[in-house]
Amino acid sequence: MNLNFSPVHFIAVPLFAAFLLPLLGRISQKLVTLVPGIVLLYLSAVALTLFPQAYNEPIVEIIAGWRPPFGITLVFGPLAAFLVTMITLIGFVVWIYSYRFIIRAPLEKYYMLFMLLIAGSTGIILTGDIFNLFVFLEITAIAAYSLTAFLRDHNGAEAAFKYLLIGSFASAFVLLAIIILYANVGTLNMADIAVRMGDVPAKIKLTIMILFIVGLGIEAELFPLNGWAPDAYSQAPSPIGAVFAGIVVKAAVYALMRVLFTLFDLPTSSHFLVVMGTITLLIAEMSAMRQQQIKRMLAFSSIGQMGLVLVAFGLGTREGIAAALFLMFSHAIIKTLLFFSAGYLVFFSGFKNISDLEGVGREKPWTGFFFSLGALAIIGLPPFSGFWGKFYLLISAANASHIFLIVLILFSAVIEAVYYLRVVGRLYFKKLHDIEIRRTPFTGLLAMGILAIVTITIGVYPDFIYELVLPAADELLDKAAYLQYAMMGQ
Amino acid sequence: MIYYITSIALILIGMYAVLVKKNLVKMIIGLSLVDGGLHLLFIAIGYVDDATAPIFSKEGLSAAEMVDPIPQALVLTAIVIGLAVTAVALAIIIRLYDHHKTLNVNKIRELKW
Repeated sequence: MNLNFSPVHFIAVPLFAAFLLPLLGRISQKLVTLVPGIVLLYLSAVALTLFPQAYNEPIVEIIAGWRPPFGITLVFGPLAAFLVTMITLIGFVVWIYSYRFIIRAPLEKYYMLFMLLIAGSTGIILTGDIFNLFVFLEITAIAAYSLTAFLRDHNGAEAAFKYLLIGSFASAFVLLAIIILYANVGTLNMADIAVRMGDVPAKIKLTIMILFIVGLGIEAELFPLNGWAPDAYSQAPSPIGAVFAGIVVKAAVYALMRVLFTLFDLPTSSHFLVVMGTITLLIAEMSAMRQQQIKRMLAFSSIGQMGLVLVAFGLGTREGIAAALFLMFSHAIIKTLLFFSAGYLVFFSGFKNISDLEGVGREKPWTGFFFSLGALAIIGLPPFSGFWGKFYLLISAANASHIFLIVLILFSAVIEAVYYLRVVGRLYFKKLHDIEIRRTPFTGLLAMGILAIVTITIGVYPDFIYELVLPAADELLDKAAYLQYAMMGQ
Repeated sequence: MIYYITSIALILIGMYAVLVKKNLVKMIIGLSLVDGGLHLLFIAIGYVDDATAPIFSKEGLSAAEMVDPIPQALVLTAIVIGLAVTAVALAIIIRLYDHHKTLNVNKIRELKW
């Protein structure tokens, strides 16, 4: 069954839609809101159709007829299939949520940048060319800067400027790394680079690796390079906060892991990842506890979760990487749910502070319920997907006999419980301030409902996702097989 | 050699401007300098002494007589990206100036830096 679906569609269709949207805006605003939804629905369909194929035999797409290692290839293996499907589905849910949430501001700009974010993030994951990765990283980053400043208040502009400054430094580092890499291996295809990496002197290799870690680490929220995140998350519109946590950061983490695992040999970097991940985790959770604003708290919690993911990747075992991918998936769903519900809680009370949310949960039972559900899920209570993510991570940490790590992970879960339950408690057990209560649009509740059902379903049947992440983990570990098919046997 | 020294000097000057200058526009100029330095460095890596442009401009020109075309193509892309980033940055600066009536980064501190 071949309907001529190809991985190129993941990049080409949203990119085309992004160019088309400002024109459609001249015809009808209704069209502008509908087209992104259709595009994302189509992409989800393509992703689900190609999914089984990618798991059987990875699809390698040649762009413009230049065979590797000369041309740009798109590599759609199990790992890419898993992440791209996740991104398109989350993107679709974000669109459902945005449908009634973004109504006042210039719609075509919002959806245009949103489409660019999707195109950029899927591009990062699909591409097999290191410079192409840089280009997609920049497309994602530029769209993200603009969306941070989307709400026309001066705090948005300030957060965006901060993000832009740090992000541009990041891309300068990545570009420098690519330049040094090219000077030493003379090729840009990642599989080809991996083959020739053996001839590169160890010191130059280390330099390139550090530049990549700094550059990609900024986008992946690695400590201490994540100063942009809390401001950008809290000043951007709520659905965009969800997109940052659910899509952009995931793509950046993928890029970092692809570079570290495929281009460089793992053992030198794994301890580094575990240590940095643990520091990221602890600092972020401590900072989250001190936050007064709910969205800043969610942002720090998101950084903490990325710390967990890095620790899991750093373990370097098959179970560890599978746990990392499971955590990424589970976090993408839960944090999106939290941002969605927090968005409406803030919208209802009119303030961003946690103290202003007192009693809102009793007045708005559904939104409050979804927030509480997300909070319990991210802490890692059993009937939700968050539990299994942490469970798999603890198992693989135990197998790698990192007992100290287990203590730290459990300790961070306790901190998470403290600051999340504090908010939940305020939602229900305090008296309501005198605020104007508005209706939650149906689409908002629908988006939150879908995510809540997914996190519970995966919580009950974790094996379904776990079976999917194991081949993806194999792809990251089995460098030889990746080189084999990414080079198309050459 | 002179190309390498110049480009690294440009990168360092740019980084100095971004890190030390307090004026938003000067910081963005610094960012552009870093970009410019990187582009120059990339071109310098692909440079071959006494070689010509990588175009088949006359009969019987062999690949060995041309400079490496890949860095040039990539730098062209990188320049466009740099332009886009600068444009977004300047748009944000305009909005910041509208709100704060200043370009001094020390006086624009509503968020925690």
